[in-house]
Amino acid sequence: MEEKIYSIDPVTEELARKAEKEGIETLWDRKKVMKTPCGFGEQGLCCRICAMGPCRISPTEGKGAQKGICGATADVIIARNLARMIAAGTATHSDHGRDIAHVLHMAKRDGNYKITDEKKLLNLAKEWEVEIENRDIYDIAHEVAEIALNEFGKPFGTLRFLERAPEQRKSVWEKNDIRTGAIDKEIATIMHSTHIGCCADAKDLVHKGMRASLADGWGGSMIGTEFSDILFGVPVPRETEANLGVLEEDQVNIIVHGHEPSLSEMMVLAAEDPELLQLAKEVGAKGINLSGMCCTANEVTMRHGVKIAGNLNQQELAVLTGAVEAIIVDVQCIFPALAPLTKCYHTKFITTSPKAKITGATHMEFEEEKALQSAKEIVREAVLNFKNRDTKKVFIPKTKSHAVVGYSVEAIKSQLDRVVNSQLDEGGTLKPLADCIASGVIRGAAGVVGCNNPKVKHDYGHVELMKELIKNDVIVVTTGCAAQAAAKAGLMSKEARKLAGKGLAKVCELVDIPPVLHMGSCVDISRILVLVSELAKLLKVDISDLPVVGAAPEWMSEKAIAIGTYVVTSGIDTWLGVVPPVTGSDIIVDILTNKAEDIVGAKFHVEPDPHKAAQQMIERIEEKREALGLATEAVEA
Amino acid sequence: MNLFNTIYTGSNQALAAAEGLLKKAIEEKGIDHKVAFPETAYSLPIIYAATGQKMNTLQDLEGAIGVVKSLIDEQPRLEPALNAGLATAVSAEIIEAVKYALNETPYEAPCAGHISDAIIRSLGVPLVTGDIPGVAVVLGECPDSETAAKVIKDYQSKGLLTFLVGKVIDQAIEANVKMGLELRVIPLGYDVTSVIHVVSVAIRASLIFGGIEPGKLAEHMEYTKNRVPAFVNAFGPLSELVVSAGAGAIALGFPVITDQVVPEVPTLLLTQKDYDKVPATSLEARGIKIKITEIAIPVGFAAAFEGERVRKDD
Repeated sequence: MEEKIYSIDPVTEELARKAEKEGIETLWDRKKVMKTPCGFGEQGLCCRICAMGPCRISPTEGKGAQKGICGATADVIIARNLARMIAAGTATHSDHGRDIAHVLHMAKRDGNYKITDEKKLLNLAKEWEVEIENRDIYDIAHEVAEIALNEFGKPFGTLRFLERAPEQRKSVWEKNDIRTGAIDKEIATIMHSTHIGCCADAKDLVHKGMRASLADGWGGSMIGTEFSDILFGVPVPRETEANLGVLEEDQVNIIVHGHEPSLSEMMVLAAEDPELLQLAKEVGAKGINLSGMCCTANEVTMRHGVKIAGNLNQQELAVLTGAVEAIIVDVQCIFPALAPLTKCYHTKFITTSPKAKITGATHMEFEEEKALQSAKEIVREAVLNFKNRDTKKVFIPKTKSHAVVGYSVEAIKSQLDRVVNSQLDEGGTLKPLADCIASGVIRGAAGVVGCNNPKVKHDYGHVELMKELIKNDVIVVTTGCAAQAAAKAGLMSKEARKLAGKGLAKVCELVDIPPVLHMGSCVDISRILVLVSELAKLLKVDISDLPVVGAAPEWMSEKAIAIGTYVVTSGIDTWLGVVPPVTGSDIIVDILTNKAEDIVGAKFHVEPDPHKAAQQMIERIEEKREALGLATEAVEA
Repeated sequence: MNLFNTIYTGSNQALAAAEGLLKKAIEEKGIDHKVAFPETAYSLPIIYAATGQKMNTLQDLEGAIGVVKSLIDEQPRLEPALNAGLATAVSAEIIEAVKYALNETPYEAPCAGHISDAIIRSLGVPLVTGDIPGVAVVLGECPDSETAAKVIKDYQSKGLLTFLVGKVIDQAIEANVKMGLELRVIPLGYDVTSVIHVVSVAIRASLIFGGIEPGKLAEHMEYTKNRVPAFVNAFGPLSELVVSAGAGAIALGFPVITDQVVPEVPTLLLTQKDYDKVPATSLEARGIKIKITEIAIPVGFAAAFEGERVRKDD
């Protein structure tokens, strides 16, 4: 039988083969056991929202069941399923944002959580018209946090952060009644409308989904990012390394995996604790080696340069190295498979959040009130576990890549200041970037985000797409597991500008950046929204007029669906590398990939081949440039 | 029109002009007529540096037209746009060479036209020591003579070597700017294509001082970018041809600062409408830092005035 290639990443490939040989189960094995996926589910044609069902609709028109028992058509069922995916994705990001806002609310001058970036806090306070004169910074913080917490459930009005969008975009939302209200309300409304016997208008359900998705991008996610920066610092460029080769043979290896920085930030501190370092020496290790996985890795690498162990599809493989003392997780994208898997090794699988308990894991609840102490107890567990490591089982791949990370919007502006002529312009703006795009030196910008998915060769979609884009002078910003794929593939090294077209390479040289910019975790896609908004304002156009595109080549989660939807709703064309479960409805497919453009000025495109997707994205960028008549006028800052 | 299309238009115009003039010259003088710039060992320096080939006759120049054509590939990308700029430079050199082929002295005072090897060699040492901190190419037409004089004198007082192209020459004369090699202000010619004689200076610096082999164009461009601290000030309305020539300057690493509204490219193509700030903007863009010890005296004081002759009437 032909050998299936799992990944373009040699480390992943090597460890997946090791698992295969040793008979250890991974996601690829479980994918295989699934055999051919259910066609009804794949096309979104099954419904089980009430007990009259489950119902399923025939994919062939005029043949078999054409309606559910309640009379819902394929269009309605698919729209409801889609809306619920959006609601779930929005809920995860929002709960994440809410937690961080809570942490700011509990921040104290002598507490574990402090304000690190006063400037960012004060800017936000001004934006939200909070009194700042003659006030204690912590009083300001608590008031700002309370306002944010109210965004989740306020009875009236629309989201504050929507105001950050350019005027043209705001009126598109206004005109189409997409201006989102309280975050939780939008999620609840979808759950309500998708109940049996409620909304049965496919178009309206998609509209509700669009509206709710803004509660993610311009709500929960943006709150998460803003408040994480205030608490833990605005990321600045720093060097790091990526891939499982970052694990150390002679150190206690701890992997933090999940999403919320309130835990991982404390883990960073705990891993530097002298007492625990001493303990590590006592158990025979040279030190404590903390590395990250998924979005938690992105958070701590952006702010501290903590090494990136890997992305979603590598979480099991990390355990397979036999060198990990503990995988410490909080919420989201944590495979429950880690529980039985870690039993085959000495690795401790520690859950910390009451929101994500996993049977078979060790639960050590992370208490934010005594965060550092909590973190230290968890690290202690890991250190004490070092002696249980079976050296015969240890196999750490040698491969790792160098990467420069930490490109927040603020950091990008400060890099751009390098090319500002002090006789002409003030620093601290995106004008140089706008100029490069307007003149055509850079053709456009692409946000490449999203997950891993075993339906796609691991990292292939991400890396091939990014390479093709930068080669054509399209600058790439990236977050999430896509960012980690880029880091592993070396695209975040400054050397990678050799792979870029001359225009982008020139800009990278002048501005001293890699051609692919790591902008953070999945909630940090809100940074991209801020970036494009400011760019649109500089060029005096709507976001949908910009030569800007988005892509999720290997998406898998409901969060990715929510993200894709808010990106489109914000006016950015989005390419999906994995077909979403909507193909059973021509109406829905038509709205998403066609009619959406009439409503919000952007739409979805589905293209599994990253090379073809790149060409389509470049064509779209050129179309937008043409429509804008770009470069006829200079940019005015 | 977008920037790259403007460049391509200008490059095609330059190509057409070069082809036309060459055809006329061949009709007039025959295909074997000799082609050369005076007092240089580098033939047509730009073509020589780019291709490694020396041009001897009008027939050779027909071959060079092929080089120009190969450099114009109208893709919306920076690399082909910069290549098109180089194409314009080659076209300009062909046009200027034909001028010399048709006429033994196509340039007369005050215009210098082609600059001899000897002069370039004499400039080498002060350029290396930083005595000449930069090379300014002032091109086009200022709103008035006073403005032109102010900008040129500013460069002069900082010790820069300034080349003038176009109507700015008359404006400088009108405003009594003293010129000459020893005064570091050199009027080249009135046609835009005469700007090629300063490009030729930079390229010969790369051949002479850089010791870079003819034909290694990328290395020459690297040398000019790193070692020849030149920049361009383009004043007044910009024709497509001038924009295209500007792309050639940018390809060699020389920023272009203009008083016209253009799509700006950070550090490379900038709009500065305030003439008082043009010199500072230009020096910053080219990364030229000048150590200045200001002496409060009522007359200009700089190395550029060292060779000045005080005539009886003055």
